[in-house]
Amino acid sequence: MAGRKDRKIFAEKNLVIIVIVMWVFLAIATRGNFSSFANITNLLRQSSINGVVAIGMTLIIITGGIDLSVGSVVGLSGMVYALMVSTRGDIQMATLPAILIALVAAAAVGLVSGIAVNDGKVPPFIATLGMMTLVRGLVMYISGGRMVTGLPLEFRQFSALRILGIPALAWIWIGLVILMLFALKYTKFGRNLYAIGSNKEAARLSGINIRLNMYSFYVLGALLSGIAGLMLATRMSAGVPTGGQTYELDAIAAAVIGGASLSGGSGTVLGTALGAVIIQTMRNGGNLLGADPFIMQMLIGALIVLAVFLDQYLKAKRRAKVTKRGAKEA
Amino acid sequence: MAEEKAILQLEKISKAFPGVQALSDVSLGLKRGEVRGLVGENGAGKSTLIKIITGAYTRDSGSIRFDGNEIVKNSPIVSKSNGIFAVYQDVMVSPHLSVAENFFLGNQPMVGPFVNWRKMYRESQSFLDDLGIDVDVRRSLRELSLAESEMVTIAKAIWGKPKLVIFDEPTAVLTRNETELLFRIIRDLKDSGIAVIYISHNLEEVFEVCDTITVLKDGAEVGTYTNEELGDVERLIPLMVGRTIEQMYYKESVELGEELLRVESLSGEKFEDINFSVRSGEIVGLFGLIGAGRTEVARAIFGVDSLEKGTITMRGKETKLRSPKDSLRNGLGYLPEDKRSQGIFPQQDIDFNINIINFDKVMKAGLIRYRKAHEQAWDFVDKLSIKISSIYQSIYELSGGNQQKVIIARWLCKNPDVLLFDEPTVGIDVGTKSEIYRLFAEISKQRKGIVLISSYLPELMGLSDRIFVISAGKLAAEVPKEDFSEEHLLRLAMKNVVSSAKFEEAG
Repeated sequence: MAGRKDRKIFAEKNLVIIVIVMWVFLAIATRGNFSSFANITNLLRQSSINGVVAIGMTLIIITGGIDLSVGSVVGLSGMVYALMVSTRGDIQMATLPAILIALVAAAAVGLVSGIAVNDGKVPPFIATLGMMTLVRGLVMYISGGRMVTGLPLEFRQFSALRILGIPALAWIWIGLVILMLFALKYTKFGRNLYAIGSNKEAARLSGINIRLNMYSFYVLGALLSGIAGLMLATRMSAGVPTGGQTYELDAIAAAVIGGASLSGGSGTVLGTALGAVIIQTMRNGGNLLGADPFIMQMLIGALIVLAVFLDQYLKAKRRAKVTKRGAKEA
Repeated sequence: MAEEKAILQLEKISKAFPGVQALSDVSLGLKRGEVRGLVGENGAGKSTLIKIITGAYTRDSGSIRFDGNEIVKNSPIVSKSNGIFAVYQDVMVSPHLSVAENFFLGNQPMVGPFVNWRKMYRESQSFLDDLGIDVDVRRSLRELSLAESEMVTIAKAIWGKPKLVIFDEPTAVLTRNETELLFRIIRDLKDSGIAVIYISHNLEEVFEVCDTITVLKDGAEVGTYTNEELGDVERLIPLMVGRTIEQMYYKESVELGEELLRVESLSGEKFEDINFSVRSGEIVGLFGLIGAGRTEVARAIFGVDSLEKGTITMRGKETKLRSPKDSLRNGLGYLPEDKRSQGIFPQQDIDFNINIINFDKVMKAGLIRYRKAHEQAWDFVDKLSIKISSIYQSIYELSGGNQQKVIIARWLCKNPDVLLFDEPTVGIDVGTKSEIYRLFAEISKQRKGIVLISSYLPELMGLSDRIFVISAGKLAAEVPKEDFSEEHLLRLAMKNVVSSAKFEEAG
């Protein structure tokens, strides 16, 4: 309505500023090496796999849960695909049906987690910790602990493919970010996610089907990890049994830096994407500056804590400001 | 002279928060053995005043004398060591520890390096027994019912050998018997010379237990009155708000239409054989003591909890309501009793909180059109005159009354045929209450039905066309408007409650 001061604050504004500041600093410090088109597109490609996993992680964190099994699911889908298509294997299936089977396998893991969490009342941390171990064991078992090569040529070449100069892997990530951004904001499914994450009981009393939605979130989260698994397989040109290990930690870090709260109800896909970019910028930039990668790791760790601290601090400050303003109007 | 007997003397206390003058020049004198009621609307400054007395807030100006000494620098530790104890609505003690441990927290009796458990249990148990509180001190706090833990909290305050005890809404979770026990305890405190400050929205209670009553309004003292001066509880309300009780229960006569909702022989875990119906334009009251099963009936109708048997008919058509989703689709709405834990989405903004069940109205091709959604939210914010600066404000920043209005806005926007309101005005100040009553009249005029659950009889009698009384899970009677009287309704509510023991069981 006209005349109302109801501009919504752009929650990711601070993250965008941080990214710009980091990039400008690195562009100057590396004399343009960082800001070269090749390096920026490279950075996007490096962020893309963690970026896709982190979208799924964000969904689960918004529900108030956490998904530790994402890394194992990345490994599972890549391995299932590789076993289905490998020219050295017995199945030698075509790529598209193999992709479908890999994604179904990933989704099945999400469904099991969803059932354990929703119906079994197992805390998400425990349920997905169990699934993480179980699924990793499964990947090792079906692969015999060995790398599976012999993937079709087009699939192997996909990771090198560029469209408009930007790596195809980055396009997949950007596409998924836009799609999920839209889905969370403009569909009832997305709104239900925030409702359930904010207050499950109130959501139930608002006629939201908790069970169906919780299943969907976990399945969708695992599906995204499944896609990331295929992206990893094309980059490695193989199914790797240890593929995706510790990816859950990078994904949690991206979501948390992006403003998602582990108590549920808040977090955005855009914030998480920026979080993933920030992490990768530190790695990539540190590398170009010749910084010790171990030191960079320490800095990323400190950043995670700092991000949450700043978020809490700014929130408290905003709250104080709102009270002040409300009082003035009264 | 009274001065010598004074235990607490506040002079011209002022306190401002950024932009709000919460208290201005409030003076208050309290004698030993005096029970003082503190009343006022939400935001009148009661809690601020109490927090200044207990040292949780620091005053901007004014002086505090306690027990003859000027208190210059107050803090919770100082006030406690002076003998001031406050029993807050939701005091968090250590829920995993036993009642006895909570009593001796930080001060356990020891035998050498070991805790003397026997002594701890014996002393705390005999203390509770003397007060008449029937709780085993070996149980951990979280095993206790809300009412039991409230009584234990009260006992703990007295255990600290106080000179002044402050009760803030102590009876909200108590049954009638426990309330009476509390009043007896307060009288004992009075007899032993301990001063009491008693805060409650329930003015009848304040009137019953207090010697004198101080009325606060907008951070200033309206006056302090003895019970005799006031004579009648109804004279308090105009002092608090400047309107009389008759004007508050705003009701227009609406011609009743077709039957919208009928429930027959409804039985569930805590109730059996409940029958009632609602016609369009009608407000049907559901009355019962706390624990009688009213909330359970409403939840079962709405499909939250499962029904053992019974039928629900909406607009003459029998419907199976297995979930809240079914109920919504069939034109039924439910506003839960505990809005903080069951109604609001705390991290989200007001816009989200209103629209969450109303996106259907503004969707096109499966997508939400936010311009329309925002307009819809503003529409109802205006209609309910909810005081906010923006619909993007977090609902968490609003007062309890405004939060309740947002939830009502959510449902008015949904516009179901029948709305079940469960204690819609608990903990809400008088001004907001009367606005909510006007909304009820508005809903009735739109030929919708309302089922109103309330423990507060004047409200229920003022608004309802008929009242169904539930007693210990069974329907006691249907009372038509001509027969409304507090006595009659209370007697019906206790009809199936033979002894207090049985009542506890039913609760």
